[in-house]
Amino acid sequence: MSWKDAAEPVLTRMPTVRRPEGHVPFKRKLAWTAAILMVYFFLTNINPFGLMAGQSSDFFGQFRSILAGEHGSLLQVGIGPIVTASIVLQLLGGANLLGLDTNDPRDQVLYQGLQKLLVIIVTALTAAPMVFTGNFLPVDTTVASALGVSTFAVQLIIFAQVFVGGVLILFMDEIVSKWGVGSGVGLFIIAAVSQQIVGGFFSWSAVGQVGFFAGWYGILFGDLTIGSVFTADGLQSLLFEPGNLLALFTTVFIFVVVVYAESVRVEIPLSHARVKGARGRFPVKLIYASVLPMILVRALQANVQFLGQILNRTWQGMPAWLGVYGDQGQPVSGFFYYVNPIQQPQQWMWFLGETAAEPWMIAIRIAIDLTFMIVGGAIFAIFWVETTGMGPEATAQQIQNSGMQIPGFRRNPQVVEKVMERYIPQVTVIGGALVGLLAVMANMLGTVGGVSGTGLLLAVSITYKLYEEIAEEQLMEMHPMMRQMFGE
Amino acid sequence: MSSGQNSGGLMSSAGLVRYFDSEGRDAIRIDPKTVIAFAVLFGVLVQIVSLTI
Repeated sequence: MSWKDAAEPVLTRMPTVRRPEGHVPFKRKLAWTAAILMVYFFLTNINPFGLMAGQSSDFFGQFRSILAGEHGSLLQVGIGPIVTASIVLQLLGGANLLGLDTNDPRDQVLYQGLQKLLVIIVTALTAAPMVFTGNFLPVDTTVASALGVSTFAVQLIIFAQVFVGGVLILFMDEIVSKWGVGSGVGLFIIAAVSQQIVGGFFSWSAVGQVGFFAGWYGILFGDLTIGSVFTADGLQSLLFEPGNLLALFTTVFIFVVVVYAESVRVEIPLSHARVKGARGRFPVKLIYASVLPMILVRALQANVQFLGQILNRTWQGMPAWLGVYGDQGQPVSGFFYYVNPIQQPQQWMWFLGETAAEPWMIAIRIAIDLTFMIVGGAIFAIFWVETTGMGPEATAQQIQNSGMQIPGFRRNPQVVEKVMERYIPQVTVIGGALVGLLAVMANMLGTVGGVSGTGLLLAVSITYKLYEEIAEEQLMEMHPMMRQMFGE
Repeated sequence: MSSGQNSGGLMSSAGLVRYFDSEGRDAIRIDPKTVIAFAVLFGVLVQIVSLTI
């Protein structure tokens, strides 16, 4: 008996959001998406009951912008558990250890159930260390005494709330996927990143942080002095704080490169086997696997850093080679320092005197980060293509089923697969590595609002996909005939 | 008329969580409105409890 038979009763009974019956009008889809977005923002503004708000550092640290959610809110865990569960599934599926055939309806049900179960387990595993170890979510002792219970009981209450928030994110994602436009995960990432970018541009000192425009207002009207631009100091304040010209450049650069790269593609010509003159093209895009696999690499790094954080707070005798932590809980040397990706220019620009680390230490750290992102980006892109049915075999089958063929080749899935194998793996690896390189570069140069390079890449590419999807939806609204063609 | 890129399944890369068409017959079905209502009530409830103590 395989594990499938044993797990089937549990996995097939996982609660799911009902599917819409028939076609959902585009306006209704937008309404569902907007409603979920509002609920998301609402929940990020509510502190769990019993929490001493504003007293602790964020467990996710710099990874917050790609993991969404909000520190010290009901959505503390963000999409972290979904991403981590996805990593596990990608690795298991990519190595073909699950033995699930995603074309078989029974296995599809099992896959969905397994996915949901994993997310729920990881939600609990992520929430538990945040609440119970190392004071990431400190208990408000007045609540404990008012209720007449121990601190541990209040911790349990906080844990329950954070856990429910995490599960809600999973179901909100499902609603957007089934009833709305795009995916919930994508929506939450865009929401988190956009919020930071808008803050970075328009914020002013009264709301806590001096944004780009407020900074330049200060420079132009003499409230901030930057000195002569012909001196090193003046140039530095123009490029970094408070001028932020370099950050502006990087942000715009990433936008342009991603939008351009989205349109770079190898087009494989197709013709219909029976209908003469019906032609089509199968595009193999440069960013074929999209930027989403990148979030998996970053999440791996994030999980290593969480482990470091937890060890640092709970293990007094942690050896120095493993990690030495600074005042703000950031690693300053040891293993956890070297595997910590560079998140801002201040972390590596030793010549500006912003960091105490030695240049050779910084060089090792950058080298590790680059290797991790480029190699990891390529590997996860390959897994992604395989597990989401975009690989040579799956696409060959789709082309075959649609009645198309590659002109000049025999009409046979194996033949089409051979042709696809010439392009898809190569393009995937190059695209994945390129995206990894871009992300590291953007992090090193800094971005407006301090969103990480990966966050910015994700936000731009998800928005682009969303735009394509909306355009397609509108086309379908205009011509009901189109719906049949799009296979709905 | 149909061109290769629209033959379905290729748009599945939108999310990290994948949903297929087939679902278990015994699965508990939840209405999306129920989820939204629960989320809003949950938030309001937590806020009210926090304010009262």
